Amino acid sequence: METVLAFLTVFTQPQLFLLVGVGTFAGVYVGAIPGLSVTMAVSILISFTFSWDVYPAIALMIGIYMGGVYGGSRTAILLNIPGAPSAIATAMDGYPMAQKGEAGTAIGVTTVMSFIGGFIGIIVLALAAPFVSDFALSFQPRDYMLLAVLGILLVGSLSTGSLVKGIFAGAFGLAIGAVGRDPLTFAERFTFDFRLLEGGISFIAVMIGMFGVSEALMQLQHADKTAVKQKISRIVPSWGTVRRHLPLSLQTSSIGVIIGALPGTGGDIAALMAYDHAKRVTKNPEVPFGQGAIEGLVAPETANNAAVGGAFIPMMTLGIPGDAVTAIMIGALFIHGLNPGPMLMVDQPHMFWFIVGALCVANCFMLLFGLTGIKLFTRIVEMPRAVLIPLIMLLSIVGAYAVNNAITDVYWMLAFGVFGYFMRHYGYPLGPVILGVILSRLLDDNWRRAIISDREDLGRFFGGILHSPLSLVLFVAVILIFVSQTPVWAKAKAMLRKESA
Amino acid sequence: MNKIILATVSALALGAVAAQAQDYPTKEIQGIIQWGAGGSTDTVMRAVTPHAEEVLGGTVVMQNVTGGVGAIALNNVESADADGYTLLMGAENPLLYKVMGLGDKDYGDFIPVDLLARGTAILVANNDAPFDDYAGMMQYIKDNPGELKLGATGPGGLPSVITAMMDTVEGKLDVISVPYDGDGPALTALQGGAIDVMPAVLGASIEGIRAGTMKPLAIFDTEASDKLPDVPTIVSENEAYGAYLPWGPFFGVFVKEGTPDDVVAKLSDAFKQGAENADFVKLMDERGFTMMNISGDEAEEFLTNWQQNTAWLLQDAGLTSASPEEFGIEKPAE
Repeated sequence: METVLAFLTVFTQPQLFLLVGVGTFAGVYVGAIPGLSVTMAVSILISFTFSWDVYPAIALMIGIYMGGVYGGSRTAILLNIPGAPSAIATAMDGYPMAQKGEAGTAIGVTTVMSFIGGFIGIIVLALAAPFVSDFALSFQPRDYMLLAVLGILLVGSLSTGSLVKGIFAGAFGLAIGAVGRDPLTFAERFTFDFRLLEGGISFIAVMIGMFGVSEALMQLQHADKTAVKQKISRIVPSWGTVRRHLPLSLQTSSIGVIIGALPGTGGDIAALMAYDHAKRVTKNPEVPFGQGAIEGLVAPETANNAAVGGAFIPMMTLGIPGDAVTAIMIGALFIHGLNPGPMLMVDQPHMFWFIVGALCVANCFMLLFGLTGIKLFTRIVEMPRAVLIPLIMLLSIVGAYAVNNAITDVYWMLAFGVFGYFMRHYGYPLGPVILGVILSRLLDDNWRRAIISDREDLGRFFGGILHSPLSLVLFVAVILIFVSQTPVWAKAKAMLRKESA
Repeated sequence: MNKIILATVSALALGAVAAQAQDYPTKEIQGIIQWGAGGSTDTVMRAVTPHAEEVLGGTVVMQNVTGGVGAIALNNVESADADGYTLLMGAENPLLYKVMGLGDKDYGDFIPVDLLARGTAILVANNDAPFDDYAGMMQYIKDNPGELKLGATGPGGLPSVITAMMDTVEGKLDVISVPYDGDGPALTALQGGAIDVMPAVLGASIEGIRAGTMKPLAIFDTEASDKLPDVPTIVSENEAYGAYLPWGPFFGVFVKEGTPDDVVAKLSDAFKQGAENADFVKLMDERGFTMMNISGDEAEEFLTNWQQNTAWLLQDAGLTSASPEEFGIEKPAE
């Protein structure tokens, strides 16, 4: 009974209900602006809500978090600039849809799918949190490393056109991610004795430049072309569309929850993995991937919103943050006099149920704010290019500056924008670069941890893989995915078919 | 409007410094936090600053500038004007930058506004580790050389200092040192069994110990903590540790050298009163931090001692990249 009451707190107190709503609304717009991140918004809120009670403070933060994760898809679809790293995969099929005048449909599908993913995340959090957190804890450095290798193999999915160029782009991304002082030994890498490079290259700046500025430069070539007229008759997807994609959304949501619950990986990796998964399991998409496939929107959007519930799992059960935002929320609980940790669930069970309730409300508000105002938003794409291109540039510059309030980030962003423009010109895909940057540290740090733990002995390392069921599963998955992308696989498949025929 | 311009110009003409000291703060103050959002430095700073703001009658806008073990933030504040409008909110690490080859600046280029609190180190182990106390761990290391996985956070971090102490007192330990980027991720790995033992700050591990998700081996202090009275002190295990203790990481607010004295005084007063706030004291106590709340000469002296002791400890353990002597860091008196 107490559980139900705690869960209902947010529904019964109008003030809390409204705060979640306000937070979600703000989140959708903060998330849509590249560079203004949810992490930043939540850490500003800590000072802002300092003198408040803990419930209203948390309610507002949860709203911003949920709305922000969703908001990143807006600019990804409309302008090809992901508002947040977790929306990179969304741009791959969302933007082509907007180019065809289907921005309204794309946003509609994205919203409903984010809602479904969000709910699955919340359900898992509510029902299976202790179980999932135990599973997440059992990931060893070598498992994280294998996960990163699995991620690297997505290069194939993210490369439209030449695989070789995709691999180059991915490797380039890995190298960018390694620049700066190594976080484990503090040795300088790729810094060439420039102090500027010591802190590394801001990954958000790379993303904004590669997507935003290069897009603006591309559009300059067609400055006279009239904008695509957007069809906005049908925004809410039909029940049939939703039902058809329900199996896929369930699968990608589970990817989202697990990746979200792992401390050290978050919505960005979850969304990319889900996109790859969709590409693998969807045999005959109505529209090919990369040209506006609905499945290409369903997968990343369910996964990144499911990752929100996932990220709360280790936070609530163990006091371990699932991502950067939950890390700040742990700080907030601490400042408000609670002791976030494994005892929180025992000492303060209503805090857990209050958070579950607030997440539910935030998810519903997200659906509401997502489906309203789409008409206004799609106007953005219909704007004349003379207005649109400077707007993209402005957004990119503001976004890059906002990351760290540093002008050097703006220079990086512009440089990568120009570089990205030439990469596009020569047919190099940009997705793998970002993939590489995201995975660089995960791969590098965990490989070193794993091999150091095994006394730098490769035999022991592979022995360890064989002895752990989890590592073995991941290892086999890596091998299978790798082989399935080689000609050997296709040949073997063809032979098998011949024999059975 | 004209009057304002006139006033501004004449204020400038009369010497901005004199005018500034009386009115300080006339604009927003920037607080640069050396470590990431959600970490202990971040939480401590965000918890104390609103109380200090009340006393100061101004706003402090806090921002996390991470990277380079905090060196990026330090250089940022160092390159700003010495007018008291840019504060560095940091931890102990900069005092080791020089000897670790991480930079050529440290707190010597700054004035301590207030050293808020210090932490205590504790040795915690994974619940499945085949020993339950410090002596058991030492025996295990002896019996299984090169098998124990000890968490680390890079050169100059708390685990490296504690490991240096253990190496100095017990003789070089044959263990595997697994690096993590912070004690949070390392303690997570400890609970998952990726590492066996972790030297951590009490505040970061206290909730885990209370809940029984990790087991404490020894507290690196001369007296037992009233938060965990049952955990033995390291001195009770081996008296030789007494020479290096008490030692611990600390949190402090700094301004650039050259900031006008009265501005520093005003800031120091604000943070001192802010840190006396009952809520903040309770918060720090619950996390096992020891309040210091010192400024002026007392703080300078603390910093000098801390730097001498720690730098030479690391030097003697062979962990530094340059001798403290090169930077004029004197060897502490025996």
